[in-house]
Amino acid sequence: MAHIWPIGGGKGGTGKSFVTGNMGVLLARQRFKTLLIDADLGAANLHTIVGMPYPDISLSDFINKRVPTLSETVLETPVPNLFLISGARNRLDIANLAYEQKTKMLRAISRLDYHYILLDLSSGASFNTIDFFTLSDSGIFVCCPELTSIENFYGLIRSVYLRKIRQVLKVHHFRKLAEKAEERNPDAVINRPEYLLDILKEIDSEKGCMIEKILQGFQFKLVLNQVRKQDNPETGTLICRIVEKHLGLKIQFIGNVAFDERVHDELRKKRPFVDKYPYCRAAMDLKALSKGIAGTTPMEIPPFTQPEIANTLSGSLL
Amino acid sequence: MKRLAEQNFYERLGVGFDASSFDINSAYKENHQLYHEDSLVTYSLFSRGERGEILTGLEEAYSTLIDEEKRSRYDQSLVECGVLKEKPAPRDDRKRFRLITSNSKTSPRNTVLTMRDELKAMAPSNTVIQEILTHEVLCGKDLKRIREELGVSLETVAEMTKIRIIFLRAIEDDEFEKAPSGMFLKSFLKAYAQSLGLDADFVASRYLKRMND
Repeated sequence: MAHIWPIGGGKGGTGKSFVTGNMGVLLARQRFKTLLIDADLGAANLHTIVGMPYPDISLSDFINKRVPTLSETVLETPVPNLFLISGARNRLDIANLAYEQKTKMLRAISRLDYHYILLDLSSGASFNTIDFFTLSDSGIFVCCPELTSIENFYGLIRSVYLRKIRQVLKVHHFRKLAEKAEERNPDAVINRPEYLLDILKEIDSEKGCMIEKILQGFQFKLVLNQVRKQDNPETGTLICRIVEKHLGLKIQFIGNVAFDERVHDELRKKRPFVDKYPYCRAAMDLKALSKGIAGTTPMEIPPFTQPEIANTLSGSLL
Repeated sequence: MKRLAEQNFYERLGVGFDASSFDINSAYKENHQLYHEDSLVTYSLFSRGERGEILTGLEEAYSTLIDEEKRSRYDQSLVECGVLKEKPAPRDDRKRFRLITSNSKTSPRNTVLTMRDELKAMAPSNTVIQEILTHEVLCGKDLKRIREELGVSLETVAEMTKIRIIFLRAIEDDEFEKAPSGMFLKSFLKAYAQSLGLDADFVASRYLKRMND
């Protein structure tokens, strides 16, 4: 079974695609068979980050049933063990998927045979993004230590929270709950989903406890990207503590990634950043992250495959 | 997750029932930084009213728990409503500080000090050292012989004085172009002499005298 990690983060420009792409490269270098999926439909660019030309085949070919199976859309990247399903070449309306299409897609994704599957999601808190979190019950949030980014992060995580409650409850149950909540606290339904759970527990303690358990089962992780020297390195830990305390969601802080001026230049050259500057601060941080992710989801490191050994041998002989 | 109004004062600050006043102080400071209006971490998470409520809640908890008398009364009320079985005994900070001071005997600084005292006692009884110290001027070789008589390695001196070993070696080898100049050399010499338990001013002036000649 593959470990599926949707990667999102609310605000645009926080480095979701950058973190996804480079983490994929690092996991692949640790010999894990890794698949990157560009689920940022409508604004796909993950192929550029891993240094590939504009792809011929993409995720939308599967969604529009031009190819029968998802595995046919998988592309090989220049990095050994790293594969990509691009999100490019979309029809313009593809950015808005129906819920059934998403469940079908996620089912197909979970059937693929990889060690790690990283899903690069779009910014914002649209259903496209949220549903990938709620459907896989896990996710990595990429955030910057800036007010705007943190504001959007809280917005996103609350949307995920609300969406999950809504999904678990049947429609009329939810409506009943919403009405009750509206009476007591007009904010609850609009922007304070954490109050909903309290009210639900009072109305129907059995359902309330069930939902609380489901919400606590989320395996969320937080990465702070573009951390400057003057930023407080503890910010991420504190955010996670606050989310746990006030929203009751478990979220684990897995590390800071340092801000690096060179990322901007390297993106123009279309090659993975961690390959060009493997020992700079940001790359070391990313390495620690990928090790951390591989560590929290224990998996045997696969041995070298035959062709790889042959390659390195012939390489050293030449 | 408990609503703020349901939390007791200890939960609000996130400390145990046996927290010392030191713990309460630092917990309050920490929480205040987290929840105040300009905090990056909780930005946009609460409305203005909620934030105000949290902050007054913190204030209330802190002002009660930090006051010994009020805290004792509050603990009594917790016992009465059944939250606690018996009144907790707050930890005493002074004990903790005593522990720190009693442990500090083994700190590196103290080992340096005791070593220096031992060396100081050794020097006067050693005839070779006494003979060297009668010289009008001292050269690097003399310093080296004193050090070797005392059985101290150059690495140890470097560790004690925090002076780089190449400078110490330059001093011992009389390689003045490698050694630092002027007042730096003087202070290095003093530190070197001190680390061996010698009279710092005496050694430094005798060494430098030769340079001036």
